[in-house]
Amino acid sequence: MNKIKKVLGDDLHKYTMVIALIALIVFFNIASGGKMITPSNFQNLLSGNAYVLILAIGMLMVIVIGQIDLSVGSVAGFCGMVMAIAFQKWNFPWWAAVLLGMGIGVLVGAWNGFWVAKMGIPGFITTLGSMMIFRGAVIWISHSISVPAPSELKWFGAGHLPEWGPAFTGMNNSTLLLGIFAIAFVIYAQLRQHARVNELHTNKDPLWPVVIRIVLGTGVIGYLTWLFGTGRPGTSFPIPGLILVVLVMIYHTITQKTRFGRHIYAVGGNKNAAALSGVNVQKTYFLTMLNMSFLAALAGIMFVGRSTAAGPSDGTSWEMDAIASVYIGGAAVSGGVGTIMATMVGGMMMAVLNSGLMLLGVGADKTQVIKGLVLMAAVAFDVYNKRPGHVSITKRLFNMSSAENKEGSPADKKS
Amino acid sequence: MKKLFALLLALVMVLSMTACGGGRTESAPAATTPAAPADSGNAAAPAAPAAAGGFEAGATIGVSLPWLGTQNWKEAEEMFKTELEAAGFKPIIQAADNKVPTQQQQIESMIQNGAKVIVVGPIDGTQLGAVLEEAKAAGVYVIGYDRLLENTTGVDGVVQFGSVKTGELQAQALLDGLKEMKGEGPWNIELFGGGPADPNAPNFFKGAMSVLQPLIDDGTLTVVSGQTDFTQCATMDWDNSKAQARMDSLLSGFYSDKEIHGVLSPNDGIARAIITSCEQAGQEIPAISGLDAENESVEWVWSGRQYSTIAKPTDALVAQTIEIIKSLQAGNGMPATDVQVNNGKIDVLVYELPPVVVTKDNAKEVFANDPGRLALLK
Amino acid sequence: MEDSIILQMREIVKEFPGVRALDGVTLEVRRGEIHSICGENGAGKSTLMKVLSGVYPYGSYEGQIFYMGEEAKFKNIKESENAGIVIIHQELTMIPELSITENIFMGNEIVKHGLIDWEEARHRTMELMERVGLNLNPNTLIKNLGVGQQQLVEIAKALSKNVKLLILDEPTSALNEADSANLLELMRGLKSKGITCIMISHKLNEIAAISDAVTVIRDGRTVETYPVEAGHVDEDRIISSMVGRAIENRYPPHESHPGEIIFEVSDWCVEDPNVPGRMVCKNSEFHVRAGEVVGFAGLMGAGRTELMRSIFGHNYGVFHGGTVKMKGQELSLPSVSAAIEAGIAYVPEDRKNLGLNLLDSIRMTIVSANLKAILRGRLLDSDKELQAAEQSRKALRVKTSSVDAGVTTLSGGNQQKVVLGKWMFTEPEVLILDEPTRGIDVGAKYEIYRLIHEMADQGKAVILVSSELPELLGMSDRIYTICEGSITGVIDSKDADQEKLMRLMTTTSDTKS
Repeated sequence: MNKIKKVLGDDLHKYTMVIALIALIVFFNIASGGKMITPSNFQNLLSGNAYVLILAIGMLMVIVIGQIDLSVGSVAGFCGMVMAIAFQKWNFPWWAAVLLGMGIGVLVGAWNGFWVAKMGIPGFITTLGSMMIFRGAVIWISHSISVPAPSELKWFGAGHLPEWGPAFTGMNNSTLLLGIFAIAFVIYAQLRQHARVNELHTNKDPLWPVVIRIVLGTGVIGYLTWLFGTGRPGTSFPIPGLILVVLVMIYHTITQKTRFGRHIYAVGGNKNAAALSGVNVQKTYFLTMLNMSFLAALAGIMFVGRSTAAGPSDGTSWEMDAIASVYIGGAAVSGGVGTIMATMVGGMMMAVLNSGLMLLGVGADKTQVIKGLVLMAAVAFDVYNKRPGHVSITKRLFNMSSAENKEGSPADKKS
Repeated sequence: MKKLFALLLALVMVLSMTACGGGRTESAPAATTPAAPADSGNAAAPAAPAAAGGFEAGATIGVSLPWLGTQNWKEAEEMFKTELEAAGFKPIIQAADNKVPTQQQQIESMIQNGAKVIVVGPIDGTQLGAVLEEAKAAGVYVIGYDRLLENTTGVDGVVQFGSVKTGELQAQALLDGLKEMKGEGPWNIELFGGGPADPNAPNFFKGAMSVLQPLIDDGTLTVVSGQTDFTQCATMDWDNSKAQARMDSLLSGFYSDKEIHGVLSPNDGIARAIITSCEQAGQEIPAISGLDAENESVEWVWSGRQYSTIAKPTDALVAQTIEIIKSLQAGNGMPATDVQVNNGKIDVLVYELPPVVVTKDNAKEVFANDPGRLALLK
Repeated sequence: MEDSIILQMREIVKEFPGVRALDGVTLEVRRGEIHSICGENGAGKSTLMKVLSGVYPYGSYEGQIFYMGEEAKFKNIKESENAGIVIIHQELTMIPELSITENIFMGNEIVKHGLIDWEEARHRTMELMERVGLNLNPNTLIKNLGVGQQQLVEIAKALSKNVKLLILDEPTSALNEADSANLLELMRGLKSKGITCIMISHKLNEIAAISDAVTVIRDGRTVETYPVEAGHVDEDRIISSMVGRAIENRYPPHESHPGEIIFEVSDWCVEDPNVPGRMVCKNSEFHVRAGEVVGFAGLMGAGRTELMRSIFGHNYGVFHGGTVKMKGQELSLPSVSAAIEAGIAYVPEDRKNLGLNLLDSIRMTIVSANLKAILRGRLLDSDKELQAAEQSRKALRVKTSSVDAGVTTLSGGNQQKVVLGKWMFTEPEVLILDEPTRGIDVGAKYEIYRLIHEMADQGKAVILVSSELPELLGMSDRIYTICEGSITGVIDSKDADQEKLMRLMTTTSDTKS
């Protein structure tokens, strides 16, 4: 047991959802006769859900500060439509149209942020208002008619990395290169961390857990590289997926490694205590709401790229998918709890369910029912696990008694 | 401890097993792909020119419908299922609950499931571009059903009723109704359009206006509200309640001291909403057009509440679609047709079917072969 | 003579786990008098009233209560109210969004044919308001009333229940002077109509003005009880009874070496954000030397916390003026982060609501007020964070198995140490401690005291706000006293004793020295 902890860290609980996700993928793969784990399906999973997952990144931060943003769907639709109209009717170059769309997103965010931070109006109400305003605005400016998007955008919404280089690799070489970079990064990060630990602490960390972590990381990334890289020629790790991965890395760093990130958690955990610790609560609210609408604009534009046209009902009920991802990822309604990584796992749960049920030929109606049940189950499971006095299911899975945990967990960190 | 290792081991095994099935060889169906017109931009796409490849008899056929909220779609779902199965195919039929992202994902999952042909009744004909091109690149034939697939190269043909023609028929039926029900002109009328996201809706309207506009100009017809532009008259998402709300406000705003004689309605649901609104406002029922021959409207036509509807027999549409699929399966490519429509990117083959106006007078003969609807005519 | 006694409480004992809150209190109240109960914070006054009103039901305490000549065994508030005993609490308990009428008859609605008879209710409300001297529309919402008026509505509500014994718990603590005077006048009026009042207060001038009898409670016991003549009350006698307790040797020995004056506050004026016109700081002026521990004494609601929080980056109240100087330099402190930057730290009195994010681990709490110190480039460095947390844990002797444990796993004393550690990590020049030992056990208190001395020895200026006079006397070099927003005096703790402090804490008449 302690050996596993040395490899994965003390908090095994956070792997519960990852295990559930893998189990779900495996289940669907078997049930659909091997159609789940294929290069093209995994490519679809990423490009078809990137927009929701990008919204979920922002939504996680909003929910951590104890607010909610209901307007993201409308804002995404509005920004996508402005972009398409700017390109189509006002003859903007495509990149200028995209910048305009993103700029509108930032302005909308500032609007939401102003009411929440400066006027103290709850996010629920503010963004309910924005939801109506911008849904109406989309229909207004589009006259309810879809507007074709710049074809360059298709690359952002549904594109693939280029094919090049030798064919003997048997896969898309861009994807291969990405995989190699990722593996190199894992090795570098692990070794550097190990070196720093040994430099700072007198009691040396053994090397073997580092090696196992590297081997595991290399294995997982290698497998995914192979999976994404060996699709139909011309396909690769999808561009929307790449954008998502980059955003996840950036926002993971922001939330976990910057002062602003700490402030988000502090404000969500105890607003008054945060204020007395020197956190500018209003500024934190403002920036978080602003960022949400910025990401909504990005998601909207990527979706338009994938759809090749901006439609008047784009974004309808996306906020609910994003919120569901965040809660399945274990965030707390009262704020202060939740991580980007767990949210991504939560979002992928929904995506895999969608995809798997479609592969099995289950209709959209029943899919909704099942998704609703999964949301309830995931949150109930989380609540159950966190209730004091219960042995968590993860712990049972790992076959350890709660007594062992109490004594063992804090101490063996150091040993 | 042991359990965890067992778990991981099992996982690795499952993953590696599935891995064996993958690989680049998976793109085998590319060999049977039809000539992908104006290739979708993937440099290495397998543009195999073998136009007349054909495929096996028991192949999977995907049918993606927008939703099942109206009768015609529900009928289409059932007919596709029974008739594709009868023809020996393996159908996957899914409806997307009127959500574009859902429809995109459903089409992707059909490609995954190895469909040879995907029939698409789009929610918004312009918003499936990338996905359909993906299907094309994977060697799948794409057939638009009932609505044009716009702004994409990923479409082989569209089966639909002539939508401009339908509009003309609607207008003509309205004029007939006015003469029959409301005596001599001039007449007060109002105009309604369909869901703007549906490419057919503006065409219905265009066709109707080609008949009505000259009469409006010469004063035979008066649109009292002055709303004659499609965007003013459109009904978001073909939503009946929105049409009813618009009619309510038109009646209270413009008809407090006037009588309304006729209404151009793009489909049956909206026609019934308008009739209900007029009844509630104390107006006599106006002459009205419709579309789809929904059960309830057939009854209303029979009882005289709704003047006319237009039958777009779903069975004819489904039959035409299946004929195309069979032709593709046999390796004969797309059947010939003389109509081509530019969808913004390419010229698309269009298989147009003629719609039929239904009034109380001809209802029995129109539905002679449709026992379900015939039973309503009592 | 016997039937002139309305209430008799005999040898009341009430225990909470580990604490004996009441240890044989005896109270005797005559019919139609205003009876004041005095005592320090925590002496047991409020507990006694909760026993009387049935908040703590019969059976959960020992001793007997005789009311109107019979033994009373109240099981809940409803029963005591039916008997005519009504408490008006320190915190008002009305619903702001409802009208005066609705509040007065809340839970006691006038029902006719199953429906509320609002006409009758409004009519009765008018009558009741006239009795308490309010002239308002009965449909006015409570939130539109001032605190003083709300207090009067509470009393009107009590009258609606046909009150015979009215208990007022610190009725004037939230009122401005005019409202306070008005309220005292009303109590005289109620007395003339035969209603008996018990008033809990530590404002001696108010007690002196209207009481007919005084009972002093200390450490859960009745010290003395005697009749007085309103307007001629010996305040000194009350004060010595309230504090008459030997200082135990609970404080570590320490020799202080005060240096230069490093922190000066002058002409500090702050208004209550909720009660316009009520000043919580009136031209406050004080200074602290390096290496000095300066105590601030004042009764609850005197304005100690308000003064400190307003200095800490205007975190409380409406700022009306004043200057803060650090080492002779005037500071501008528009925000908490500016105050932290300037070297001020404030450990708030309410640990759970203001001091801690209960979701955080120890390690995240320690660094939370000074994230700058663990930056590496622009990112937070978890190694530096760990080092800081470990250092704090060792220096403060926090009893925990790991700094990654959540703060909720700690005992109160250890939580307080973590909060102290969080503020020590900001390396302040001036450390303001607001009730740092509230609710923690004796052993942990001793350790906190030791830490306070350590910080003073490092040359920091320490401000210690406390309700416990022995603590202030044992820990401080000098003590300022505050009463109703004014600093009423400063005494060298060598010359101070509890009686002197208590006099300064309860007298507003003296101008600041």
